[in-house]
Amino acid sequence: MEEEVNNILLVAAELKSPLATLRQMALSFDNLDSNNESLRDDMVVVSDRAIRQVNDLMKIGKLNERLFEMEPVAVRGVCDEVTRELQYLFHFNKRDLFIRYSNRARLVTANYELLKSIIYNYLLNAVYYTGDGVKSELVVKDIRDKVRVLVRDFGPALPVDVWREMKRGFVEKPTSIAMRPGTGGLGLYIASRFSRYMGAEIGAVRHRDGTSFYVDLTVSKQARLF
Amino acid sequence: MIFVIDSNVEMADCIVRACENNEVRIFHNAIEAMQGLSGELPELIFMDVMLTGPDGFSFLNELISYEDTSKVPVVVASALDLEKYNLDIYGVVGVLNKDTMKPEDVRKYVTKYAQ
Repeated sequence: MEEEVNNILLVAAELKSPLATLRQMALSFDNLDSNNESLRDDMVVVSDRAIRQVNDLMKIGKLNERLFEMEPVAVRGVCDEVTRELQYLFHFNKRDLFIRYSNRARLVTANYELLKSIIYNYLLNAVYYTGDGVKSELVVKDIRDKVRVLVRDFGPALPVDVWREMKRGFVEKPTSIAMRPGTGGLGLYIASRFSRYMGAEIGAVRHRDGTSFYVDLTVSKQARLF
Repeated sequence: MIFVIDSNVEMADCIVRACENNEVRIFHNAIEAMQGLSGELPELIFMDVMLTGPDGFSFLNELISYEDTSKVPVVVASALDLEKYNLDIYGVVGVLNKDTMKPEDVRKYVTKYAQ
């Protein structure tokens, strides 16, 4: 298992440079008509996503070295940053995003970068699986002594075997068991590894018309200061 | 004149294209680039850190060790997350992340230092 993961990380490291190069090459095209400009933008968006996932995979390799410091993190701030970064992608794919914050505890114990990656992956998933003009939802709320960040999409329901694995709290590896149509479940695998590192719990709720993915985060002891 | 130092040929070409009408010399390793410094000095250098052979920091150390070359502004374009580090002592005037940079980021430095 560990060897398999190491191989994945090795491949990720090898892919990083070509992906960044392809992205630069796409950006180098000038004076395009609107059709080709749209194609160029597509290429940049796709490579941006791939680079991000490769970077996340490479972070998994560093988890064992405990390089990611746990600290009080303002969870709404992370959500704001991710949604700002992904705004163009929602717009580009004609998707809407509804955001609702109702958490009283503002600070959670987490690593900023890892939490950002989890939310980013959940929202990317929502962009991918929600149809044109349909809204996805990003919700931050209190669940007992935790803060839950939840992303609801309106796509195909999550296969029951994946749901069961997520209920157990951990996706073992990015194989077909973590699949919905058209994906290898890489985002869930990344979210799973990062949340385990932070002592957080991921999960999913199956709906008839989609899925809610969530991560439950421990409230920081400094929360009461704010 | 601008120097572009990158072992990745295609990436170097992308940076050259972003430099538009400026005269550019490309080097694919630090040793060639050090030799290149014996001629006309560049107004600006774009360089990667992870190079074939001696790395970018070896080149930067060489660069700052000579009185004349130490004044050449350098922009590091790397896939490493270097933006949070202070590289002023190496004459680095900017850091670009290869994962996210755009041609206009390159042009910004060209306009400031090489025109």
